[in-house]
Amino acid sequence: MTKRIPFDVRLRKNLPGWLIMLPSLVLFSFFVWEPLLESVRLSLYTAEGMRLVQFVGFQNYLDVFQHPDFWPAIRNTFYYTLWSLAIGFLVPIVLAILINEIRRGRSFFKVGIYLPNIVPGMAMVLMWGFIFKPSNAGILNVMLSALGIHAQPWLTDPHLTIPLIVATLTWQGAGATALLYIAGLQGIDPELYDAAIMDGAGIWKRVRYITVPNIYNLARTLLILQIISVFQILYQPLVMTNGGPNNASISIMQLVFRYAFQNYDYPKAGAVSVIISLILIALTAAYNKLNKEKDM
Amino acid sequence: MRKTAIALCLALTLVGMASAQNVTVKLGIWPEDTLAGDIAMHQGFVKEFNATYPNVTIVPAYYKYATDTFVSLAETGQLPTIFESWFTEPQKLIAGKFVKDITAEVKALGWDAKMNKSVLDLMSKDGKIYGVPRDAYALGLMVNVELFKKAGLVDKSGLPLYPKTWDELAKTAKTIKDKTGAAGLCLLAKDNAGGWHFTNIAWAFGAKFEAQKAGKWVAALNTPEAVAAVQYIKDLKWKYDVLTADPTNEDWGTGFRELGTGAAAMYIGAQDAVNQPTQVNGLDVKSLALVPVPAGPKGQFSLMGGTPYMFPANATSAQVTAALHYLEVMGRAPLVNAKTVAGLKADAQNRKNQGVPVVPTFPAWTDPAFLKAQAAALDESRNVDMRLYNDYYAAVAKKGNLRTEEPFAAQDLYAELTKVLQAVVTDKGANVQALLDTAQKNFQPLLDKAANK
Repeated sequence: MTKRIPFDVRLRKNLPGWLIMLPSLVLFSFFVWEPLLESVRLSLYTAEGMRLVQFVGFQNYLDVFQHPDFWPAIRNTFYYTLWSLAIGFLVPIVLAILINEIRRGRSFFKVGIYLPNIVPGMAMVLMWGFIFKPSNAGILNVMLSALGIHAQPWLTDPHLTIPLIVATLTWQGAGATALLYIAGLQGIDPELYDAAIMDGAGIWKRVRYITVPNIYNLARTLLILQIISVFQILYQPLVMTNGGPNNASISIMQLVFRYAFQNYDYPKAGAVSVIISLILIALTAAYNKLNKEKDM
Repeated sequence: MRKTAIALCLALTLVGMASAQNVTVKLGIWPEDTLAGDIAMHQGFVKEFNATYPNVTIVPAYYKYATDTFVSLAETGQLPTIFESWFTEPQKLIAGKFVKDITAEVKALGWDAKMNKSVLDLMSKDGKIYGVPRDAYALGLMVNVELFKKAGLVDKSGLPLYPKTWDELAKTAKTIKDKTGAAGLCLLAKDNAGGWHFTNIAWAFGAKFEAQKAGKWVAALNTPEAVAAVQYIKDLKWKYDVLTADPTNEDWGTGFRELGTGAAAMYIGAQDAVNQPTQVNGLDVKSLALVPVPAGPKGQFSLMGGTPYMFPANATSAQVTAALHYLEVMGRAPLVNAKTVAGLKADAQNRKNQGVPVVPTFPAWTDPAFLKAQAAALDESRNVDMRLYNDYYAAVAKKGNLRTEEPFAAQDLYAELTKVLQAVVTDKGANVQALLDTAQKNFQPLLDKAANK
């Protein structure tokens, strides 16, 4: 039985903590939580511009569900996420392990893999747009034609659009993630490797029994962060394909963008945003639950 | 004491009246900073304007309408007193109550009776007027004359032998592609502008996308006529191969770039955008021709609309009236006096200086005296061979040639059609009927929501 600590003592004890948190609490409530709640409220009304007009319950949600682009957008967004896990999740881990194994020139490779990350997002998508241009004028096709290969449709092939966009995302983002993994790898006690080598473990065994278990927690966090971030993919498809051809690459965030900035229909944009966050909350919760079971 | 009080009241009233007359107009139609010539012209307009209306302060407030800035500016009351929007926007802006009902102000000047009826409808809702036209447009086919010359498609006097029908267009485009390597036609399929252009093509094949049946609006996207029109587009890509490299990446602006830089020989465009291939994209002013939209098996039509000037909801009546008077000085109002004539002349001369073809406008106003004065001012600064434009103007003057866009949910219609276009230009095996069936199924509920409440 613990004795209850008097309120004033608790207050005195915790006050500095609250004071330190206060600025961020204020900023968070103003810039994050209030807008978040406001957009939930918005999604339940009709509006003229941003002026709420009438409470309509879940009508906006029903309308959004019935929009011809809604289900393709949801489907594609899951494709983006799955492809980004298939293409993008392992790349930084492999890069990190390779760079960690290098004895000379490690900094050179670290800088090298990080460089794509400093290209501004818009410049990146425009550049890849030129590279993937589906004609004899596209950069990739010019290179292929030198090898005697016909011009390929690239982004205009509905089956390739999403994997290619994910490949450009990976090109840009893998380096930064790899740096996190490298930091993780460097935290591993080198004695573990020395011991393993003495026991006669080859590189695969060392990776499997030392490296992977040691970065497992980091990888788990980065996995869920990647899902959350790729799920909100917007400007890459917006600029590279405008969601086309025939909705092959439209993402759910693009639907928010269209409702808000093409139709000025903010309540429906709010409704889609709420749907997105519910999906992400559900995914994260499910994921955490699975992981907890595994941990036990 | 009493006298003093009365005198004081009188003085206050006078001051009050004087300040009520002082009006500030933030002019969103001021030219952007880089257009020195246009700015000089407007500075002249302001001087002229203030000579008659000394109580009005004109504040230059260049604003280029953009969907990502508009609502924030409107909601915070920061929109300029008068701004130019796109032809797609009026009904949306009216529905969102972003713009002011200017019926009283327009009627006081008698302009409502002088406005082209179709244009008036575009800017009105429930009998109330919300905008005045900058100008109207009717789609035609823009032609890069240099490429036609290179392909040998000119007559003895060097005029382009342009296609009169869509069938001819496919063949002409093929000749151009074979002889010059440039695309024959720039087709748009990136955004709603693709569907917008396509409706004009499809009308010629007999398609009509919305019709009223038994009091209910019914979509007709999957008719045999619409299928024929889409099949034609599909053929342009796979049978003739005359389109630019990636139509799914072409929008209104890139189309003019392809045409202006000689990457494409033909492009659907209107007379109000002749500055785009020339001034903006460097095509010689004499190398542009504007000809009628080709005819199809079911006729020849031109889609018409208007670009509006609009006023924010929080503008006062005095501000709106002052801004309308400023349009008079610019020669954009249906009036003929020394001021408007000078404005018209300055505008035409400025276009000539900037390398923009000075061609007749498409009448947004119907006042005969104004049209005459406008035509005279344009004739004076003419810098192009009108034989490159005459057929277009003759075509749009024909009865039954002009059509406004489909009446309800036009942007949703365009979105559905654009998806179909994207599918047929990227997939050789695309099933046109099936695509249009899907589009029909998608669009009818949206039409119901907009029209069949």
